[in-house]
Amino acid sequence: MAIILKNIRKVYKNIVAVDGISLNIEEGTVFGLLGPNGAGKTTLVKILTTITTPTSGEAYIHGYDIKKDSIKIRRIIGVVPQENNLDRYLTARENLTLHAKMQGMPRSEYNERVDYLLNMMGLFHRRNDFPDKFSGGMQRRLVIARALIHSPTVLFLDEPTTGLDPQSRRAVWEYIQSLKEKTTIFLTTHYMEEADQLCDRIVILDHGKALIDGTSASIKETLKGSDLYEVEFEPDFKPDPSQREFLYFISDNPYEENGSIRINLKDKKYLKPLIERIETKYIRGIRRLEPTLEDVFIHLTGRSIRD
Amino acid sequence: MRGIFPICERDFIVSWRNISSDLLPTIVSPLTFFLAFGFGLQGYLSDIEGVPYTMFVVPGLVSMTAVTSAFDHGAWSLWFHRIVQKTINEYRVNPISVYEIVIGKILSGFLLGAIKGIVVAIILLFLINFQTSTGAESALGLLMDYSLVFSHLLFYLLFVFLGSMIFSCVGTMCGTVMDRPEDLNKIQGVVITPLVFLAGLFFPLSSFPSEVLPLIKLLPTTAIFEGARQALLQGRVESQYILELFVYAAVSFILAVIIFQKYIEE
Ligand SMILES: Nc1ncnc2c1ncn2[C@@H]1O[C@H](COP(=O)(O)OP(=O)(O)OP(=O)(O)O)[C@@H](O)[C@H]1O
Ligand SMILES: [Mg+2]
Repeated sequence: MAIILKNIRKVYKNIVAVDGISLNIEEGTVFGLLGPNGAGKTTLVKILTTITTPTSGEAYIHGYDIKKDSIKIRRIIGVVPQENNLDRYLTARENLTLHAKMQGMPRSEYNERVDYLLNMMGLFHRRNDFPDKFSGGMQRRLVIARALIHSPTVLFLDEPTTGLDPQSRRAVWEYIQSLKEKTTIFLTTHYMEEADQLCDRIVILDHGKALIDGTSASIKETLKGSDLYEVEFEPDFKPDPSQREFLYFISDNPYEENGSIRINLKDKKYLKPLIERIETKYIRGIRRLEPTLEDVFIHLTGRSIRD
Repeated sequence: MRGIFPICERDFIVSWRNISSDLLPTIVSPLTFFLAFGFGLQGYLSDIEGVPYTMFVVPGLVSMTAVTSAFDHGAWSLWFHRIVQKTINEYRVNPISVYEIVIGKILSGFLLGAIKGIVVAIILLFLINFQTSTGAESALGLLMDYSLVFSHLLFYLLFVFLGSMIFSCVGTMCGTVMDRPEDLNKIQGVVITPLVFLAGLFFPLSSFPSEVLPLIKLLPTTAIFEGARQALLQGRVESQYILELFVYAAVSFILAVIIFQKYIEE
C-alpha cells in the first residue's frame, strides 16, 4: 500500500478538522479528495506530508510512519500546497534549485532536471525572474514544477489547478496521467470535471468525515435510483422553485440553473402529474439528466454555503 | 546536518542581492552616533580611562551593529518565512530536520551580523584616520598606541561573534513565536534599545551607582560592549564577561531550537 490511514483525527482547539479517517490507497492510484470549504482536505494533506501531527491515529507512507520516519517520507513525497509558498527573493530557477539542494541532489543531476521542468511548465523563458512578478497561474506552475524535481513516488497535490487557465490545466492533467505508472497521486480539488477525468478513486469529505468512497462511476451510481430532470420553461414564465406543487413530487429542493430548473423526482411515475400541474404550454422542454459527480456532491454535502 | 548549507546559502544570496539597499540603513545608525558623539562631543569630553572618546565609542558601535543586525535578521527573516511567504513549510517537506532549519537560520543571522559589524568597523576606522590625519597621528598610529596587536583583535572578534550569536538566537525565538509585525517592533524598542543604551556603550560603567553595577554587568550587552572594548583597547579579557557570554549563547541557542521545534509543528 502506498498510503495507509488508521482512524486519523485532528482537533484544533475546539474544531474537529479531521474526524476519524481510515483509508488504504494502492500504489499507482490517482486518488481524489473532494469536499466543501473547511471539510478538512488541507489538514489531511498536511498530516500526510508531515507538516502537522495528527491528534490521534496512525498513518504510513510506503510503510514509513508519519510520526517517526518523517525524514524518510520527505525523500519520497512531492508536495503542492494549497498556497503558493514560493520564495519571492529568489528567481524562479533558484526556487527550484534550492529545493533540489534540500533534497540532497547533486548539481550534475538537478541542473538538467530543473531546466526540463521549467520547459515543461512553459516557464523556461522566465527562469531568471522573481515569482512575485508572475501571474497567479505561472506561480502555480512553478510550485508544481518544484514538487516534481526529485521525482517523488507519492505526489500530494492540494488543489493543483486552482487559478490555471484551461490550457495549463490540461497540460497538468496530461502530466499527472503520464506519471501514473510510477507514482501514486493524492489530490484534492473543487473541480468535479478534474476528479471525474483523472481519479481512479474518489472520497467525498465533509466535516472531517468520509461520506462516500469509490470510483467516479460507482459514486454516480448512488443517484441512479432517483430521477433527475431538467425542465426548461418559456421565457415569460417565471417559475418559483419553492412552489408547493413541486415539493410533493421531488426529493431535494429544486434549483435553478441557466433559466431552467433541475428537479429530482421521488419516482418516475410523478413525472406526468407534475407536468400536468405546471401546464404544458409553459414548458419548452424536459430532459432526463445522467447524474454528475457534482449532483452527488451537492446531494451529499447539501446546498448551503460553508463558513 | 547537510540541510544547513542550502538554507544559509539562500540567505547569503538574498543579502548579497539586496546589499545596495541594505548597506545604508546598516551604517547610518552607527555613523550618526559616531558623528554626534565622537565628533560632536569630543571636544567637551576628557579621555575616558586614558582613551579619547572617539576611540572609546567605536568598538561599541561596531558590536552594536553586529548585534542588532543579527537580531533583525533572525527575527524578521523567520517571521517572513513563516507568516508571509510560508516557505517554512516548503523547507519542512524536504528531508531536513527542524534542527537544520533553525541552526541554518541562526548561523546566517550570526554571520550576516558579524559581517555588517566588520564593514562598519572598516568605515569608522577610515573616518578616524581622516579625523586624525590632520594631526600627526594616523588611525593606525593611534591604534598602535593602544598596543593593538593581533591577539587583541582576535579576542575582540570573539566578543562580537558571541554577541551576534546570542542575538541571532533571540531574534529567531521572537520570529518563531510572534505572528504580528508590531510585536517584533515592540521587542526592538522595549528590549533591544534599552539593552544597548544601558550597557555602557557611550559612557563608562563607573558612572553607574555601585548598587546597580552588578546588575548592569549581568546584561549580555554589557558583556559584549564592555568586554569587547577592553579586549580591543587594553588587551584585557575579563573572564566574567566571557563566561557570561558563553552561558548566554548556549542557553539562547538551546531555547531557540526547542521553541522553534515546538511552535513550528502547528
Ligand atoms: N491552524 C489551524 N488552526 C485552527 N483551525 C484550523 C487550522 N487549520 C485549519 N483549521 C480548521 O480546520 C477545518 C478544516 O480546514 P481545511 O483547511 O483542512 O479545509 P479544506 O477542506 O482544505 O478547505 P478549502 O476547500 O477551503 O481549502 C476548518 O474548519 C479550519 O477552520
Ligand atoms: Mg484546503
